[in-house]
Amino acid sequence: MGVVDKIKELDGAKITIQRENRIFVDVDKDRVIGTLYSLKLMGFHQLSVQNVVDRIKDGKFEIFYVLYSHEYKINVIVRTWVDRDNPVIETADKIYPSAHTWEREISEMFGIKVEGNEDCGKPFILENWKDIPPMRKDFDSVKYSSEHFVFRHSEGENE
Amino acid sequence: MERMTEEQVKTIANMLRKRSLWMIHYCTGCGAMELPPTMTSRYDMERFGLAPYVTSRQADILLITGYLNVKTLRRVITVYEQMLDPKYVIGFGSCALNGGVYWDSYAVIKQLDRYIPADLYIAGCMPRPEAIISAFRHLMELIDSGKADGYKRYKRNLAYYKENQRKVLG
Repeated sequence: MGVVDKIKELDGAKITIQRENRIFVDVDKDRVIGTLYSLKLMGFHQLSVQNVVDRIKDGKFEIFYVLYSHEYKINVIVRTWVDRDNPVIETADKIYPSAHTWEREISEMFGIKVEGNEDCGKPFILENWKDIPPMRKDFDSVKYSSEHFVFRHSEGENE
Repeated sequence: MERMTEEQVKTIANMLRKRSLWMIHYCTGCGAMELPPTMTSRYDMERFGLAPYVTSRQADILLITGYLNVKTLRRVITVYEQMLDPKYVIGFGSCALNGGVYWDSYAVIKQLDRYIPADLYIAGCMPRPEAIISAFRHLMELIDSGKADGYKRYKRNLAYYKENQRKVLG
């Protein structure tokens, strides 16, 4: 049985095979950790990226984990969705240690609470940030920028 | 022998200073890419007496290569205040000048000279090594004529600079 068949048999997962080396695995929020663990046992040892897409029209955050297997040369992308109003996910750093740092970044840039990762909430990249997290779609970058920094106007330009 | 006046000492000091400038380059953005050809044999800035240097305490020129965000600005100010007088600041590229392509970013400051006194700007995205060499030549002229007085302005208007720094850095 090939690895793709094994992925197809994952519990509660919706599988989309986009190309032969790119497979999407969509799961519920509660099943993410179990799915990641199963995939790691199958040979997907590398977490390339963990990040978030702000699906503001659906009122959801899409959290995705890009896994790679050097044995099968396949990318598996595990996706899950959480509510924008109360975004809480569970940490994956017991399975993939590099997730620890990714989670710190997403919790700072999107304001997502990560349970079990004690470093989330500590300052990571931003310093003295007092606004809503900057990578959310409803954050107005131009407004923030013009309030906090002074633009240079060249001569003859209408202000 | 007659003693030299203070003015004459300054003139001679400036004349010597402009021929031996050590530069610390704070490579925040993509601007650092243009420096290796400037430093090495292709454009060879050492023929003007300029040399890259590694520590802030011994350097004369602080070259800000590229955009500065709030986080790096804090470090740049530390580096600038560590440097000994006389010290000169060159803002490199359009990002240091007015924000450049990052004009709407939540993190990038738009005007370097509000926070530390810039003696000179090199406009362009990217400025070529010819432009950098030309800026150094221009800085030499400014030093020779005593117009490169950014470090004096910083001391004189310290309250203004500190207030601006406090506004963005908190």
